Amino acid sequence: MKKIVRMVLVLTLLGLISGLALSLVSNYADPIIEENEKEATREAIYYVLKSADSYETEEVDGKVIYRALDSSGELVGYAFTASGGGYQGTIRLMVGVGPEVWKVKGIQILESSETPGLGGKIRGESFKSQFRDLVARGEIGLVKSGEPERGEIKAITGATISSKAVVKIINTELSRVRSILSTGGE
Amino acid sequence: MESNQDSNYRLSYSPHIHTGTKTSEVMGGVALALIPAVAAGIYYFRLDAVYLLLTTVLTSLLSEALMLKILGKEVDLSDKSALVTGLLIGLVLPPEIPLYAAGLGSVFAIVIGKQLFGGLGKNIFNPALIGRAFLVAAYPVLMTTWTKPVGFDAVTSATPLAAARFDDVLTPLSRLFLGNISGSLGETSALALLLGGLYMLVKGYMDWRIPCAAFASLLGLSAIIWGIDPGSYSPPVFHLLAGGFLIGAIFMATDPTTSPVTKSGRWIFGAGVGIITVVIRAWGGYPEGVMFSILLMNAFRPLIDRFTVPAPFGGDRP
Amino acid sequence: MQDFVRGLWKENPVFVQVLGMCPTLAVTTSLINGISMGLATTFVLVASGLVISSVRKLLPDQVRIASFMIIISSFVTVVKLLFEAHIPEISSQLGPYLPLIVTNCIILGRQEAFASKQPVGRSLLDALGMGIGFALALVVLGGVRELLYQGTIGGFQVFGTWYKSMVIMVMPAGAFISLSLLVALFQRISGRK
Repeated sequence: MKKIVRMVLVLTLLGLISGLALSLVSNYADPIIEENEKEATREAIYYVLKSADSYETEEVDGKVIYRALDSSGELVGYAFTASGGGYQGTIRLMVGVGPEVWKVKGIQILESSETPGLGGKIRGESFKSQFRDLVARGEIGLVKSGEPERGEIKAITGATISSKAVVKIINTELSRVRSILSTGGE
Repeated sequence: MESNQDSNYRLSYSPHIHTGTKTSEVMGGVALALIPAVAAGIYYFRLDAVYLLLTTVLTSLLSEALMLKILGKEVDLSDKSALVTGLLIGLVLPPEIPLYAAGLGSVFAIVIGKQLFGGLGKNIFNPALIGRAFLVAAYPVLMTTWTKPVGFDAVTSATPLAAARFDDVLTPLSRLFLGNISGSLGETSALALLLGGLYMLVKGYMDWRIPCAAFASLLGLSAIIWGIDPGSYSPPVFHLLAGGFLIGAIFMATDPTTSPVTKSGRWIFGAGVGIITVVIRAWGGYPEGVMFSILLMNAFRPLIDRFTVPAPFGGDRP
Repeated sequence: MQDFVRGLWKENPVFVQVLGMCPTLAVTTSLINGISMGLATTFVLVASGLVISSVRKLLPDQVRIASFMIIISSFVTVVKLLFEAHIPEISSQLGPYLPLIVTNCIILGRQEAFASKQPVGRSLLDALGMGIGFALALVVLGGVRELLYQGTIGGFQVFGTWYKSMVIMVMPAGAFISLSLLVALFQRISGRK
């Protein structure tokens, strides 16, 4: 009997001390972590919408959309995150679109575990820059070889699946955002 | 007992009768049988082919000698197996690959694929294919950049398999047969490979069962899926002639060390190679699947041998 | 002193005991990842070793493993929060392997085999030796893989621009190949074969 009491006592004590210590550390660290995440989002938004100077966060139908404004307070476009399956694991993107939502202004890769050297090239400037001011009235197209036309981008050599995944993720989320913005009172 | 008409060299379970044929003779014969393929490669790709083959053969021989020395064994290259490995690696690489990468593949093939497993006769996987697999993983871009043969426009272009898979373009069979296509150095000309295979068959350096089983299963399965949906799959003869299937089935699947020793086992082994190749080509992520299919079947070899051991006369199956 | 040196060489957790393979293989894609993982593990090892050896006489035998786990996981959580707060980039590189330090068998192993039976001083030395031995192995492996992958060490160009990236070295297969070659080299140097 005495043994059991001692066991329970020791474990409870340990749990209490550990819980106390952890709550102290997390009190200290949580605000910093949150600030880091905000900073990363801010950087990504300013990357995809070059002329943005400030932004407001709003949530419509469960989708977080960032309204970006320039220095004079004009609306320059919207940014939103999009994610989906890549060749390996999930790809998470920040997508920036113009105020009328028919032009993609730019994209940034927030998270991807594509094969380095092949699919990993989606992080590269030469792939991402294809999405700068890309006219996308319907869906964005993808060409494997030859020159891309209006509204199309060229796949990375040897990494067709990753390129396709990025385009598909953008197209899916773009149409969702379009319908949200057209019914969402804007 | 079996007649000796079709072959004067064979590996089998006991009882054994030694015919006097040595490893060095078989390996020398394989090297001779590769001459048409080497010649075709040099004809189509000129100096690139010469440099590439020199690199792979020399590095293979050198790393074999070095490893034997480090491991404290007798340094003896006269069994010619390192020569054959070097030739085969050169023949399954893209002709334009940088020479240091080709050399690295050969070193990997001999050191890790062969000597660290115990050397000649003890390796589980075909060393040349290990070298190629390493290069595919190490330099995926180099290993998928193909040039058209010299004398046409020397620009990069898709292999017939990749063209059929991704762009729905079928290369004419006559060009596949003669070899005027882009692809690995030795896989371009079906004619040259078949000539070599015929020579090995006549001289008895390989067992006809493995290539036969592989050809039959490849043709059979691809005919079935082509018959069901000719729009999305390639015809069977195309599968036979395109890509690395012939060089794989004739020269790599028949490697005596890494293929089963029993007759029924060889049928199973060859059939597996053909089926997995078609499966990977038709539904896998890569346009070509010969390398993986042979390596996979290599891994199954001990299992196949165990289940196909013949019963001793008057006894039970072991 | 012997307690300290043992972990560095003769009983090196990675090269000799072949423990803690999960972080060893998974995160050593670059030198900096190897250093971060090694230091984080060393911190957890030392801190929990200190605590456990100082309270070792109070812990009832039946719940000692449970107690070890509470202590170890507390320290791991502390490390994870601090990494996320102060070096978010490295923390995202290490991904799930940072919290997974808790399952590293070196840590629980040393508590059970050493810290729970020895005085504080010796336990500290043992934990330091094992931790630094582990970190060194990860640094070497991370350095080799980074060098062979893109010709850099810690981000500095070692090979010229002619060097083509060897993609296999940052993939799992490259981890296994380079680890096994390093283990072979280690055995050769220490004269075990």
